Amino acid sequence: MLQEADIGVGISGVEGMQAVMSSDYAIAQFRFLERLLLVHGHWCYRRISMMICYFFYKNLTFGFTLFWYEAYASFSGRPAYNDWYMSCYNVFFTSLPVIALGVFDQDVSARLCLKYPLLYQEGVQNILFSWPRILGWMSNGVLSAIIIFFFTTNSIFNQAFRKDGHAVDYEVLGVAMYSSVVWAVNCQMALSINYFTWIQHFFIWGSIALWYIFLVVYGSLPPTFSTTAYKVLVEACAPSILYWLTTLLVVVSTLLPYFLYRAFQTRFRPMYHDLIQRQRLEGSETEISSQTEVSSELPAQVEIKMQHLKANLRQRNQ
Amino acid sequence: MCVHQSINITTKSSSSILFYQFTQQNLPACKPVLTPSWIVTTFLLMGVIFIPIGLVTLRTSHSVIEIVERYDTECIPEKFRGNKVSYIKDSTILKNCSLYLKVPKHMKAPIYIYYQLDNYYQNHRRYVKSRNDQQLLHGLKSNDTSSCQPEDSSNGLPSVPCGLIAWSLFNDTFKFIRESSELVVNRKNIAWKSDRNHKFGKQVYPFNFQNGTFIGGGSLDPSVPLSDQEDLIVWMRTAALPSFRKMYGRIEEDLDADDVIAVHLMNNYNTYSFGGKKKLVLSTSSWLGGKNDFLGVAYVFVGSSSIIISLVFMLLHVKNPRPYGETAYLSWNR
Repeated sequence: MLQEADIGVGISGVEGMQAVMSSDYAIAQFRFLERLLLVHGHWCYRRISMMICYFFYKNLTFGFTLFWYEAYASFSGRPAYNDWYMSCYNVFFTSLPVIALGVFDQDVSARLCLKYPLLYQEGVQNILFSWPRILGWMSNGVLSAIIIFFFTTNSIFNQAFRKDGHAVDYEVLGVAMYSSVVWAVNCQMALSINYFTWIQHFFIWGSIALWYIFLVVYGSLPPTFSTTAYKVLVEACAPSILYWLTTLLVVVSTLLPYFLYRAFQTRFRPMYHDLIQRQRLEGSETEISSQTEVSSELPAQVEIKMQHLKANLRQRNQ
Repeated sequence: MCVHQSINITTKSSSSILFYQFTQQNLPACKPVLTPSWIVTTFLLMGVIFIPIGLVTLRTSHSVIEIVERYDTECIPEKFRGNKVSYIKDSTILKNCSLYLKVPKHMKAPIYIYYQLDNYYQNHRRYVKSRNDQQLLHGLKSNDTSSCQPEDSSNGLPSVPCGLIAWSLFNDTFKFIRESSELVVNRKNIAWKSDRNHKFGKQVYPFNFQNGTFIGGGSLDPSVPLSDQEDLIVWMRTAALPSFRKMYGRIEEDLDADDVIAVHLMNNYNTYSFGGKKKLVLSTSSWLGGKNDFLGVAYVFVGSSSIIISLVFMLLHVKNPRPYGETAYLSWNR
C-alpha cells in the first residue's frame, strides 16, 4: 500500500473511476504516463519555478524603487508614483506576460522531451528551483531597482529636462521611473522565455503599450481626479528627448547583468536543456552527426549503483 | 538564431486548426537560442549604438552654460551671522542684497532664471497632502477644505488658496542689472500651460491669505486671479527630490562673455530654520534641456563596457573550445 508519493496518477478504465476520483491527475491509458511525466511534468516544473522566481523579481524591482525614493522623501511615506499607477502595476502592465510564461513556455519541444528522458532529472534534482536560483532572481530584482532608481534620478536631476527650460518635478520623475520599471520588467521576460508565439509578443509588447495608453487616458481625466498625472505624458514627458534617452539607458543597463550571466552560463556551464536546444539549432542547419549527438547516458551515481548491483548479481549467481 | 516550429494539418478548417494548435501547445513559434555569435553581436551592437549617443549627449551638456551662485549665507550682513533665524524673521530689517555674477561664455537668449533650494523636502507626504484642488478651481464656493488643515483658515475666515504648499510660497525677488541698465525679465509663461488653464481657476482670487500669526512665505495680490499667479502655480507643482529648481523667469537677450551682471535681490525667504540652502541659477538650454553630464557619461560607460565584455567573451570562447554535448558538465555528473 502506497504511504507516500509526490503525485497520484489514476487511470480511468473498465474497472471504474475510483482511482481517478482520488488522484491528482487522470489519464485514459497507461502509455500516456510517459508523456505525462516526461513532457508535461518537465514543462510544468520549469514553468512554475520560472514563474515564481520572476514574480518575486518583478515585485522586488517595483517595490525597491519606492523604497529608495523614501530615503529622498525623508521617509514620510510619499510614494514615488501616482496611486493609480501602483494599483495597475500588477494587474495591467505586468500580469499578462507572466501568464503567458506560466501557461505556454516550452524550453524543449515535446518530441525532444520524449527523446531525452534524462531532462526529467532536472525536476527530480530540483535544479531549477534551488535556493541559489531563487536568491539570484531576488538579488537581480534588488539590483535592477538600484540601477533604475539611481540612473533615473541622476539623469533627470534638478535641471531643465526640455528645450523650453521647465525644471523636473515629482510627476515627471515618477513617470520616468515607472516607465523604466515597466520596460525593464517586460524586456526581462522577453530575455527569459524560450518560446515566442504571437501570444507572447502580443502580451509583452502590448503590456508596455498599455502603459502609455493608460497614461494618455488617465492624464486626460479632470485634474481633480488625476491629480499628479494630468496630461503628464502628452504635455510634459513625450516631447522631452531626455526622457526617452533615459528610458533607453536605464532599461539596457538593468538587463545587462542578467544577459551577461546568461551569456556566460549558456556557453561555459550549459544545462541539459541548453545543450538540447543548441543541438536542435545545429540539427536544423546541418545533419546531426553521431559524434555531436547529446548522449543519453545515465547519471554517474545511477551508473555506479547499477555496476554495484550487477556485481552483486554475478556473485550470487556463482 | 531561432528554431522555428510549425506543423501542417490539412484536414481541418483554419479556425479549428488554430484552436487545435492552441490546445495541443503546438502554435507556430520562434525559439531563440543564445549562441556565442549572437552574444558577441549583441554586445558589439550595444557598444556601437551607445557610445556615439553618449558622446553627443555629453557634448550637448557641455554646450549649456550655467551660472550657479549660493546666496543665503553671503546675503546676511556680518553682524547678524550669529543668529540668522531671528534676522530673517525680523520684518523691520530690509533684506536687500547685491551679488555680482560673471558670465563665463557667451550665453544665447532665452536665458532661464531658476531659484534652487537644497535640503527642502517638498516631497514630504504631509506637505504634499496639504492642498485642496477643488478650492483652487472654484474658490470660496468649495466648502470642504479639511485636507488643508491647519492652514485652511485664519481669524475665523477661510483662506484661499489654503494649505501648507501655498502658505510656504517662495518670496525672494531678483533684479538683474548689466552696465547700469536693467535686464528685462519675462515672468510670464513660466508655469505649465495645463496647470494655468485647468488647475487654477480664472475667477478665483486670493482671500485672507497669509493673514495668520505665522508667516510661511510670500503673500499674493488679491486682485490677480489664481490662474495668472504664475509664481504660485510654479511653486505648487511640488518637486521630486530635496534639491530642486523652480523657474523664476527668463531673460530674452544674449549675454556676452565676461559681462558682469549685478543682481539686486530681496532675501526674504526663511531657509535658515532647517539648514536649507538657496541658490540662484542662470542657464541656457539645449535640445536636451539643462546641464547634466550623467546621461552622457553613463551611455559611454555602458557602451564601452559592452565592447570590452564582447571582446573578453570572444577571447574566452576561442580559447576554450568545447565539444557540445559533453555530459561531464551536467550538474549530476560533476
